[in-house]
Amino acid sequence: MYKLTGVTKLYQKGRRTVPAVRDLDLVIEDGEWLAVQGRTGHGKSTLLNLLGGLDRATQGTVELDGTDLGALRETQLTRVRAEKIGFIFQTFNLIPTLSAAENVEAALIPLRVGHADRQARVAAALDSVGLADRAAHLPSELSGGQQQRTAIARALVKEPKVLLADEPTGNLDEDTRDEIIGLLEQLWRERGLTLVLVTHDTSLARQAQRVGVMSKGRLTIKQDNRPGPQPETHPVTAGHDPVI
Amino acid sequence: MFFATYLRRELRRRMRQAIFVALGLAVGIGLVVTVISASAGVKKAESSVLASLYGVGTDVTVSGPAPSFKAPPTTKGSTGGGTQIQITPSGAEVCVNGKCENAAGKTIQNLAPEYSPMKSADVADVARLHDVAAAAGGLLITDNTVTIPKDFGSSGGSAPPTPNSLSVDGVDTSHLTLGPLSSGTVTSGHSFTAADADSDVAVVDSGYATSNNLKVGSVITIDNAKFTVIGIVRQSQASSPNDIFIPLARAEALKAGGSTETGEVNMIYVTAASAADIATVQHEIAKLLPHATVTTAASLASEVTGSVANAAKLANDLGKWLAILVLIAAFAVASLLTMSAVARRGAEFGTLKAIGWRTRRIVTQVLGESVVMGVIGAAVGVGLGFAGAAIIAKIAPKLTATVPSSNGTGVNSFQSTSGGGAVRSIGPGGSSHVLAVPLHPSITGGVIALAVLLALAGGLLAGSFGSWRIARLRPVDALSQVA
Repeated sequence: MYKLTGVTKLYQKGRRTVPAVRDLDLVIEDGEWLAVQGRTGHGKSTLLNLLGGLDRATQGTVELDGTDLGALRETQLTRVRAEKIGFIFQTFNLIPTLSAAENVEAALIPLRVGHADRQARVAAALDSVGLADRAAHLPSELSGGQQQRTAIARALVKEPKVLLADEPTGNLDEDTRDEIIGLLEQLWRERGLTLVLVTHDTSLARQAQRVGVMSKGRLTIKQDNRPGPQPETHPVTAGHDPVI
Repeated sequence: MFFATYLRRELRRRMRQAIFVALGLAVGIGLVVTVISASAGVKKAESSVLASLYGVGTDVTVSGPAPSFKAPPTTKGSTGGGTQIQITPSGAEVCVNGKCENAAGKTIQNLAPEYSPMKSADVADVARLHDVAAAAGGLLITDNTVTIPKDFGSSGGSAPPTPNSLSVDGVDTSHLTLGPLSSGTVTSGHSFTAADADSDVAVVDSGYATSNNLKVGSVITIDNAKFTVIGIVRQSQASSPNDIFIPLARAEALKAGGSTETGEVNMIYVTAASAADIATVQHEIAKLLPHATVTTAASLASEVTGSVANAAKLANDLGKWLAILVLIAAFAVASLLTMSAVARRGAEFGTLKAIGWRTRRIVTQVLGESVVMGVIGAAVGVGLGFAGAAIIAKIAPKLTATVPSSNGTGVNSFQSTSGGGAVRSIGPGGSSHVLAVPLHPSITGGVIALAVLLALAGGLLAGSFGSWRIARLRPVDALSQVA
């Protein structure tokens, strides 16, 4: 479970200080799917980076399962990323010299998994995204959709608790986008992942349990399809009760 | 396994750059190997000259002052001691102790020391010095023979005659490991023994023996004294070997010419107790024998001129600095290319950090790539070094050396000859030798080890710059750059 309390992230742009995220209080339950929408430059990716431990908050705390990520040393943070968090990027970010299988295997290297176990898990991960027959192919030999499937397999092979996806369909055509949306939904349901997804794609966002919109660094929940009583749409900034 | 696969694939992807970096390192390494091997070859040539002059085990050589040179009188009525030739209107005359007679057709023999004498007791004094392990006396003399043409000195007569010179070295038969004879190899017969101290026996240089049809058992004449050849000795090609070695006591007797003035030497060969003591020994002897010239192999080497010295200078100065500059350039290019590659791979490293790779692991990967390029550079560089050394050995001209004589007033001048032989001519204050000093660059295991270490250091240095960049790389920055 994520718990963000009073999170602010400021960037220095020349002499100006730009707030990317302002006074954000937010709780994301285990197994929840949260989609974050908003215009470019309004803090969506910054929020994702804070959740992934790739960046540290200027103020406030980001807790994952009770651990304040901002208080961890870099090596500890790296460990958390290796074990608990899977990333999916808009540009796939596959290592161009490694095959699909080796790209997936790369995610297991920090976990010191034995060679045989690694191979078995890689094969299973590629199979789960429908790429068992493309294991030996280099990224350049794969289509955009296949590359993103490989990236999803890489994110899932370590069986993370959280999957953070930044515009996962942003570089895909419509058919492929639908495939990837279907795949993400299936994996989320089957594996009970906590899925936080940043997207401009409204059709993808609609699949999520909750949809929030980032505007000028503030997050407002616009839709909440979680089971149970539906709370009113409201911003989740300081001074308001966090959405739980 | 994954490390090796990733490394191999990455190097294959950047093959052109990897080859460029490896070749840059290889050229630097090759140049270092070539320069060091050439320098070693020059040093070897230099050492062979020095060893042949003073013997393998000799650390310090002491020579007497140069004999004073008097210009020969050219007018009748001049007087002086010893044998002199003078030109008169009626022709050439030879004067012995002031008594002159017509020189036409006469053969004149003169036994002259190459250096002024020192007392035999000086050898014992030197041997007693604290840091001296052993000392032996030697007497270098030259037997000059000249035949005066019948019409020499008259108007339109023959040119001045050329003296026929024979170099004779008196050897201390109780210290045969010191002095020039120690560097020779006996090819026939045997060398002296301590029992030969007063015998009329001689060991002859192989070149001299060949040109004079001498063999063991032959009899040679030096200043009217007969000596039996007991051994033929082959001396260094790089030396200007003495023609004949005879026991020191016999050389002293010849030089004294029947007078009682024996017990003189003009060379003292010294071995120091240890290499570290050589400078001290040189200083102590200079204090003990203030008029003598004290030379160490090192000081002699520093005074060597001619193409041997020029080559040594070239190798040490230009070659060394050129190699260092090329190495620095190669290291700089390797470092810049590695940093540039790391910068281009920012997204890759950012992604690896995002999926949980520790910085150390990524750095190891990059260092591994650099080290592999370094190893390839070392292998190619050593090959280039061997090729360079072979080319030098093939095309380098034979070196010449000009070595100042120990007395400081003349020179032993060495010039190359086509056959690699040596010619000695007698002149005032010293003698000159003509010889060939071949240059054989040598590559030792140490040089190869140094080359490999340098290449690895270059690779590691380049990798370190890249690693420094990776360590500073924040994944969020790398990923945002991609976005």
